[in-house]
Amino acid sequence: MSSDTLNLTLRVWRQAGPDKPGGFCDYQLEGVSTHMSFLEMLDVLNEKLIAAGDEPVAFDHDCREGICGMCSLMINGQAHGPDRGTTTCQLHMRRFASGETITIEPWRASPFPVVRDLVVNRSAFDRIIQSGGFVSVNTGNAPDGNCIPVPGHRQEIAMDAAACIGCGACVAACKNASAMLFVSAKVSQLSILPQGQPERAGRVLNMVAQMDKEGFGSCTNTSECEAACPAEISVSHIARLNREYMKALIFADR
Amino acid sequence: MSALLRILGLPALFLSKVPGLGSVIRALSTSVGQKLLMATSGLSLVDFLIVHLGGNLQLYAGEEVFNAYAAKLHSLGPLLAIAEIGLFSMFALHIGLAVSTAAMNSTARASSYAMKQTKQGLFVLPSGGASNWMMVTGLLIFVFLVSHILDMKLKKGFGVSYPPAAADAGDATNAFQNVKAVLQHPPHAILYFVCLIALGIHLSHGIRSALQTFGLNHKNWNFILRWTGFLLAWAIAGGFISVVAWALAVKN
Repeated sequence: MSSDTLNLTLRVWRQAGPDKPGGFCDYQLEGVSTHMSFLEMLDVLNEKLIAAGDEPVAFDHDCREGICGMCSLMINGQAHGPDRGTTTCQLHMRRFASGETITIEPWRASPFPVVRDLVVNRSAFDRIIQSGGFVSVNTGNAPDGNCIPVPGHRQEIAMDAAACIGCGACVAACKNASAMLFVSAKVSQLSILPQGQPERAGRVLNMVAQMDKEGFGSCTNTSECEAACPAEISVSHIARLNREYMKALIFADR
Repeated sequence: MSALLRILGLPALFLSKVPGLGSVIRALSTSVGQKLLMATSGLSLVDFLIVHLGGNLQLYAGEEVFNAYAAKLHSLGPLLAIAEIGLFSMFALHIGLAVSTAAMNSTARASSYAMKQTKQGLFVLPSGGASNWMMVTGLLIFVFLVSHILDMKLKKGFGVSYPPAAADAGDATNAFQNVKAVLQHPPHAILYFVCLIALGIHLSHGIRSALQTFGLNHKNWNFILRWTGFLLAWAIAGGFISVVAWALAVKN
């Protein structure tokens, strides 16, 4: 692999605070190694800004290995950048060409207010989880792993849904800023497993109600979320949420 | 926007106060509930289109057959009136929900991106697939609907010279000639053609989308469902377009 370096123009959204006006600032960054991850490239930019006495660009990140769901950038109009099934931290600079201008924006959705620069507040997702994305079990010794039989293929479907890292790319990419893919993944993973059955009907009703209350848009089945999702969650989970919702509407004993 | 949402929510708010209806209305008022109603009304309208197309295609059987069909339809009297009220309420529900959804969505994305791209392929239209054109095509279908009622039902189409009706001959007697008169008027032919293309685009997303909303998504079925939705959409639109083409092709 070549060890080329890139000269880039970064068009970065800067915003001092939630209620402050924001705008784009252009930065020239020279000698960017193609082996860097996108976040490492931003680290280099920040080092340069700090050295020059400027405010560094605030951006979310944590594990930098694609599992925590913290990184969240809209890169050239694509959630987590141009590749499928990857997060921003897994995106490498070799994906870009020297001389390129890269536009970097925060997730844009009313329920995800900008905290600063590229950081948005995703607490709305936490409140949706609190409204139903859990199972109630008595604590104590861990039960025997095999005492609750779950067929292998059901485990696989549940695990596919549970792969959601809650990053919010689905909301960011959706033209309606809808959170349906996130909510459907959380509803799906528990509705498929035996442990999720007692709270099954209430879960979908409560989580949908909370999703609406947070001000997310309505799903119009464009499948843009599925294409943008770094965990490659399928819209078949949205269909499952719809089934769960209809069932809860008709059969829920409450 | 919030004022618009409040006005559109009034019927639901009123109905939710009716004893015995409250919990169901509230559940159907959520974003997912509205989707279910959107899909129900949409598929009902597709059913109507199929029946309507079945009637229209009788034009090909000639003047007598078509006029007999029209006369039979009008002889249904109160049944036809009930069907028309049902049809009107489905249109009202579908359009009302579209406006409410659009308002909800533009509130959710209050500030837009400076740059937006997609990872989805196979797009047939600029700036996205049919799903991104539902509002535009829906508006065109609404324009068509208004014009169509004026042209065919009320016989007040702008610039159309209808064949002179025999006094007291009733609605249906000249149905065949009326259709030809409207469709042979060039501005109407163009309007109908454009709006029917819009109908095809609208349905090519709408039918599949409605099935997804009803939870029909399974890897064994998705291929069949996708193509059934697409082909049905263009079969309906194509059927209607063929009538426009026929009217322009036949001699008076």
